Amino acid sequence: MPNLKVISANNLSCVRGDNLLFEGVSFDVSEGQCLHVTGPNGCGKTSLLRLISGINQTETGCIKWQGANTNDNSLFLSECAYIAHKEGLKNELTAIENLRYYQQLDGINDELALDDTLAKLKILKCADLLAQQLSFGQRRRLSFARLLIAEFSLWVLDEPFTGIDTDGRELMESLCVNHLKSGGLIIMTHHQTLLDSPLNQYRSELQLGQA
Amino acid sequence: MFRNTSSLIQPLVFFIIIALLFPFSLPAEGLLLQRIGGGVIWVSAVLATMLSLESMFHSDYQDGTLEQMLIHPRSLSLAMLGKALAHWTATGLILTLFSPLLCVTFNIPSEQIWVLFTGLLLGTPSLTLIGAIGAALTVTLRRGGVLIAIIILPLYIPILIFGAGMLTQVAQGLEVTSQLYALAAILALSITLAPFAIAGALRITIN
Repeated sequence: MPNLKVISANNLSCVRGDNLLFEGVSFDVSEGQCLHVTGPNGCGKTSLLRLISGINQTETGCIKWQGANTNDNSLFLSECAYIAHKEGLKNELTAIENLRYYQQLDGINDELALDDTLAKLKILKCADLLAQQLSFGQRRRLSFARLLIAEFSLWVLDEPFTGIDTDGRELMESLCVNHLKSGGLIIMTHHQTLLDSPLNQYRSELQLGQA
Repeated sequence: MFRNTSSLIQPLVFFIIIALLFPFSLPAEGLLLQRIGGGVIWVSAVLATMLSLESMFHSDYQDGTLEQMLIHPRSLSLAMLGKALAHWTATGLILTLFSPLLCVTFNIPSEQIWVLFTGLLLGTPSLTLIGAIGAALTVTLRRGGVLIAIIILPLYIPILIFGAGMLTQVAQGLEVTSQLYALAAILALSITLAPFAIAGALRITIN
C-alpha cells in the first residue's frame, strides 16, 4: 500500500552533557503497531521520545515519517501527539477550557466533542473544576483527552500508566487498542512489562541502555 | 493572565512605588522634580517591565504547555508575537495608562504629559518584545531574573534615550517628531524581528 503510515528512525543517538545516553538506535513502526521502549531509569527513554516528537533535534541519524524527514515537517507535527510527564495543562483554566484551548489550536470548534471526550475518560463531572483542583490521576486523564480531540496518527506517550488507577489503566489500554485497530501508531515508554496487557499482541520492544 | 491577578497588579504597584521613591530621596527644590520626573517615570517603566518578564514563560515551561507549542505545526514565532502582545496589555499598557497620574505627582506640565504618554505607548511594546528574547533565553534557569536584567537592560538604552529625550526637548520648546518616529521605527523592528528571535531562543534553550 502506498499510503501506509510508517515512522522509521535510523542511527539515533543522544548526548546529555558529557554522557552518551544511547547511540545507533533504529526502529520502524507502521500502522497498527505499538513500540514499547524499555530500559532502566536514566537510559534516555524520555530523551528518545522528545527526539521523535521533535522537541529536540537529532544529532546523528534521522527520523522519517512516510519517507520525509520529520524536522520542521508540519505534516508530521500535525499527525503526532506527545503526552509527557508535564501534562501541558494550565492551572488557571478549568478542565474543559484546557481541552478547548488545544482543540482550537488545531482549528476545530466543537463543544459536543469536548463533552464526549471528557465523558469517555470519565472526568466529565470535573469539567468545570480548575486544573489545579484536579487530582494527579484526573490530570493524567485530562492530558490523555487531548489525544482524542484531533486525528493524530502517531501517539508518543511517556509513561502513560503512571499515576492512574486500575480502572483508568484499563480505559487507557482500550483507547490505545482502539487507536491501533483503526490504523494508528503508538510509541510509548513504560517501566513494567506489557505481557498481560491487551496491548501485548501489537507490541514490539526496543531496549535502551544495554551497555 | 486575568485569573492570576497578582501578575497583573505587581508590575503596576512596583512601577508606582519606584517612581514615588524619588521625591522622598531628593532635595525638595521647586523645579528639580518637574525636570527629572519624566526620566524617573521612564526608568520605573523599564524596571517594572523587567520584573514582569521572568514570569512570562516560566509557568508555560513548568506545566509543559511550552513544549506543546514547540511541536505544534502552527508557526511558533506567530504564537510568540501574540504572547508578547498579550503580556504587554497586562503590563506595559497598564503602566502607560497610569503614567499621567504619576506625572501629576511630579508636577509635570500637561503638554509634557501627552509626550510622555505617547512615548510610553510606543516604547513599552518594544520593551516587552525585546525583553521576551531574554526571558526565552533564561526560561530553563531557576534564577533567571538577574540574568535577564544583564542581557536586556543594555538593549533598552536606545528606547530610553529617545523616550526620555523627548521630554527634555519639549521642555525646551523643541519639536519631538523625530524621536517619536525613532520610537515607532524601533517598535516596527521589534514587532517584525523579535518573534523570530524569541522562537529561536526557545528552541535552543528547551532540550
